[in-house]
Amino acid sequence: MSHNPIRDEFRAGLARGELLVQKCNDCGGLNMYPRHACPHCQSSSLGWQKASGRGVLHSFTVLRMGAPIGFEADLPYALGVVKLEEGVQLLTRLVPDANGDWDSYACDVPVEYVPMSGDSIACQSAAWFRHTSSK
Amino acid sequence: MADTWPLNVDAKSPNDPVFIGVGELPSGRYPDRNFIGDLTRVGLLALADAKMVPRDVDTILLIPNLHSAVDQADLIFSRMAEELGLIGHLKSSFMVHSGGSTSDNAVRLASGLIASGHARTVLVLQCERWGSADVNEMVTMLSKYGIPGEWEMPTGLQFNAIGALITRRYMHATQSSPEAMASVCVTLRNWAQLNPNAMYYGKPLTVEKVLASKVVAEPLHALECPMLADGAVAFVMTSAENAKKRGLDTMVRVAGSGGCVSHYSIGQEPDLAALGWATAAKRAYEQSGWGPEDAQIAQIYDTYAAVTAIAVEGLGFCEPSEGARWFASGAADPGGKLPCNTNGGMLSAGHTGVGGGTALLVEGVRQLLGRAGSQRQVPGVQRCIVGGTGGSYMDAQVLLLERVAKGGK
Repeated sequence: MSHNPIRDEFRAGLARGELLVQKCNDCGGLNMYPRHACPHCQSSSLGWQKASGRGVLHSFTVLRMGAPIGFEADLPYALGVVKLEEGVQLLTRLVPDANGDWDSYACDVPVEYVPMSGDSIACQSAAWFRHTSSK
Repeated sequence: MADTWPLNVDAKSPNDPVFIGVGELPSGRYPDRNFIGDLTRVGLLALADAKMVPRDVDTILLIPNLHSAVDQADLIFSRMAEELGLIGHLKSSFMVHSGGSTSDNAVRLASGLIASGHARTVLVLQCERWGSADVNEMVTMLSKYGIPGEWEMPTGLQFNAIGALITRRYMHATQSSPEAMASVCVTLRNWAQLNPNAMYYGKPLTVEKVLASKVVAEPLHALECPMLADGAVAFVMTSAENAKKRGLDTMVRVAGSGGCVSHYSIGQEPDLAALGWATAAKRAYEQSGWGPEDAQIAQIYDTYAAVTAIAVEGLGFCEPSEGARWFASGAADPGGKLPCNTNGGMLSAGHTGVGGGTALLVEGVRQLLGRAGSQRQVPGVQRCIVGGTGGSYMDAQVLLLERVAKGGK
């Protein structure tokens, strides 16, 4: 894999249980996904801010067949587009309800970031979210 | 940034770029055909339709395939110049690529070359072997291309899931029922019954059948997902002056175009129920002076029903939020108010990769030339709206095409 500090620092955050959002040291703009130059002011001085982890679910799907190689054992699994309260958004995995399905989920429900173990992130470095009222 | 882009040519300009011929091979599973053979055959079909031979062509534009990197490289390195006997004659041969919207951009590029004088006659070629390709390779390809490796591949995203994310948001935002969504697929299948080149010719479909098929990626059912197909299409563009000089009395000009790139990563689209369609349509209508009411037919990229429903709303064919219900009303069906995707579209003619949009474009040109055959030719067609989109529905591209004929008919 090529040298990519932006990707590696973001993933290291996930492995520590932190969802990071890139923050421009010059204009203060938040960038998601993280960029190699600030898309707002083109600065290359870029740092990180820990996200609140709170957001709303713009859309989601439960994939039931046709998983990419390496994801077959995960089926079924759910993906969602989450809009964070900081004003940036990202694609995430969604934690199932207690019954193993995703019945409590709907567009525009509140969702929150769920830290995963470092081992799990080393294997699949995705951010996980769950429906705020689903435990 | 400029909000308007006035065209530098009009219908009276000698260098106005025009379509003069199209070619197509049947879409579906054809293990007995092969890539270079199909490209050669379809190119010759388009040239014959334009009353031309290969030596009338000075530039070949290639539309990429997604089935093989080696085949792609062959095209890039001018293989078709050899195959068509154009060594030493051809000025240039190269590829343009924006995924599913490539055909729209190929038209823009060919038009620019012709209008500026860098090309006189451009042959655009496309062939895809998705239907006969190895299934595992295709699954891998459809979970890598158009998906950012650093940020989204680790989630297990693939293309039906992308379609499902758009569909879920669209159904939520517009309160469209599963029946309304399925009706889009049924309209396309109705058109495919009139197209012997379509993968699903002779295989009618009902809303009940769509909703009874298994769920692949909620809320999408299997029959709401496109079937990968082999296929090939080609078209020829030249200047209006050259077309007239060659005695052609019917051609199709580009009255305007508009586009909007709204994201690259599906997770970065601000509104999955809108995408870039309203902006692209506004830009195209402003350039041409047209409105949605000025066309008699439309050919809109249709890998998933929601993608097409969102497009027809952005293009102003119906009120906002009414796209799927507009299809359910029969407006886009054979005999409807605004026939759409008259070849059956990608969902029923077959998803030929980057070529799906090219097949829709070619169908629009064919209808305008009056060559769609007795079964599906829409009578009195003068204007067609073409809509395309590429990758994870990253862009919306609109072409406004118009028939030009001797005596104005």
